[in-house]
Amino acid sequence: MIFEFMRDDHRACDHFYSEAENALSAKEIDKAKEYFEMFYQSTNHHFDMEERELFIAFERRTGMMGGPTQMMRYEHQQLRSLLESMKSALDENRHSDFFGIGESMMIMLQQHNMKEEQMLYPMIDRALENDAEEMIQKLKEMEK
Amino acid sequence: MYNGLSLDQAPPISVVMRFFITVPFFGILLSALLFFYPDTVLIPNHPFSLASIHLMFLGVITMAMLGALFQMQSVLGGRPIPAPAGNAFLIHLFLLLGIIALTLAFTLLYPPLFIVAAVFLGSSILYGVKLILPLLFNGTSHDTLQGMKIALFALSLTALLGIVMATEYANEAFGTMHEMLRTIHYSLGLIGWIAVLIIAVAFQVVEMFYVTPSYSPWCKRNAFNIIAGALGFKTLWLVEGLPFVWVFDAIIGALLMGFIATTLKRLLKRKRRVSDVSIWFWLLGMGLLFLSLGLYGTYVASGSELFQTMALIAYVLFALSIILGMMGKIIPFLIWFHLNSAGYMDTPIMSNIITYSRAKALFVLFTLTVFFTLFGVIYNDLLRLGAMMGIAMFGLLLYNIISALKMYRYTLHHGMRFEQM
Repeated sequence: MIFEFMRDDHRACDHFYSEAENALSAKEIDKAKEYFEMFYQSTNHHFDMEERELFIAFERRTGMMGGPTQMMRYEHQQLRSLLESMKSALDENRHSDFFGIGESMMIMLQQHNMKEEQMLYPMIDRALENDAEEMIQKLKEMEK
Repeated sequence: MYNGLSLDQAPPISVVMRFFITVPFFGILLSALLFFYPDTVLIPNHPFSLASIHLMFLGVITMAMLGALFQMQSVLGGRPIPAPAGNAFLIHLFLLLGIIALTLAFTLLYPPLFIVAAVFLGSSILYGVKLILPLLFNGTSHDTLQGMKIALFALSLTALLGIVMATEYANEAFGTMHEMLRTIHYSLGLIGWIAVLIIAVAFQVVEMFYVTPSYSPWCKRNAFNIIAGALGFKTLWLVEGLPFVWVFDAIIGALLMGFIATTLKRLLKRKRRVSDVSIWFWLLGMGLLFLSLGLYGTYVASGSELFQTMALIAYVLFALSIILGMMGKIIPFLIWFHLNSAGYMDTPIMSNIITYSRAKALFVLFTLTVFFTLFGVIYNDLLRLGAMMGIAMFGLLLYNIISALKMYRYTLHHGMRFEQM
C-alpha cells in the first residue's frame, strides 16, 4: 500500500521533470520554469512526507534509527542541494548547466528511488501492517 | 553535510573504473586480431575464432558487466559488497591474467596455458559469484534481483564448463561429450549470463531513467522463470541426447523478441525527449538483437554456417551496444558523484566529463563497426575496415575514460572543498 502510493508519487515527480526538460529543449522557457517549479515543489513535498511522517513511524515501529532511513535522509540532502542548483541555473538562463546538473540529479534521484522501491517501502509496509492505510491518509493530508 | 552514508555505501571509484578501463584494451586487441587474420577468425571453432569470441565475451562484455555489478549491487542488491577495493583488485587481476592466458593459449596453441587460464578465470569468476550472489538473498525480492541471481548462477556454470573444456584442450584429448559441453557452455554464457543481466538492468533502467511506461508486471515476473526453465530443460535434453532441442531455443527466441518489442515500445513512448546518445545505443542494441535472432533462425532453417557466424556477431554487438550506452552514463556519473559527495565546489558536470560530441562520435564509430563487421562476413574485404573502425571506437572509449579520470584527479588535487572555505 505504502509502496504503491509512494511509487506513484515518484512517477508523478518524474513526469514534471521530463516536461520541464522537454519544454526547455523546445526553447519554451516559461513553460519549462512552470514545470520545473512543479517538479521542485512535488519532490520537496515527497521528501517532507518521508522525513516528517513515514520514516519516523517506521523508526518507532522497528527501532531502526540509523539504518536505511538515515541513509535516505542524507540522499535527500544531496538531492535538495542539486534542485537548488538547477533552480538557480534556470532562473539565470544557464540552460546548458541546467541540463548538465539535471543529468546527475536524475541518475541520483532514480538510484535513490530504486533503493526506496526495492527495499525500504516493502519494509515499511511490513512494519506498519494494518496502519498503512491510516498513514497514507495522513500523507495525503499533508499540505504541499 | 556531503560525506553522507550514501558515499560510504558506494564502492570507491577505483573499483568500477579498473574494470571499465580494461575493456578498451581487450577491444583493441580483438579488433587487431580481426584486422590481421580476417579470414581465419571467421572459421567456426578455429583457435583464432575461439580467441576472438573469448576476448569479446570475457575481455569486453564480462569485464564491463562485472564492473557495473560492483556499482549496481549497492543500489539494487541492498547490501554493499564487503571490502570492495581488495575484492575488486583480486577479481579483476585474475580475470585479466586469465583472459591473456586464454588468448595466448588459443593463438599460440600452447596447451599448458589452458590450465593457467582455467585457474585464473575459474577462481576470478567463481570467487566473484561467491562474493555477490549470497548478498542478493537478503530477505527482499524483486524482479531485477531475481534476474541478477540467475545471471550470476549461469555465469558460474559457464565458468565451470569452461574449466572442464580447458582441461580437454590442455590434454589435447576431447571426450565424446565435448560438443554437448560446448553447446551448454555457450548457451549459458550468451543467454543465461549476458541476456538475463541485460534484461534485468533494462527492467530498472529503461522505465526509470528515460521516464517510460512501466514494463508489464507479468513480463517482469515471468521473463526470468521462462529463460531459466528453457535453459535448464535445454541442458537436460542435451545431456540425455533427446531430440527437438531447438524447441527451447525457439522459446528463448520468442521471449527475446517480446523483450525487443516491449522495450522499443517503451523507448519510443518515453516522456524524456531530450536528445541522449544512450537512447541511440539502446535502440541500435534492440535492432541488433532482432537481427541476431533472425539470422539464427535462418541458420537453423538453412544450416548455413555463414548465418550462424553473423548471428553470433550481431548478438555480441547487441550486448556491446547496451554496455557502451550504459558506460557513457555511468562513467561521468561516478566521477561527478564521488567529487560532489566529497564536497568539491568545482565538480565538473556530467556533460563536461564526456562531452556530447565525443559521446556522439563513439556512437558513429560503433555504428560503422557494426556495419562493416557484419557485412565483412559476406564481403571479406570489409572485415578489415570493420576492425579499423573497432580500433578507432575502442580508442575513443579509452580516451573518454582516461580524460574523465584525469579530470577526477585534477579536481581531487586542485579543487576546493566546502570544508576548506
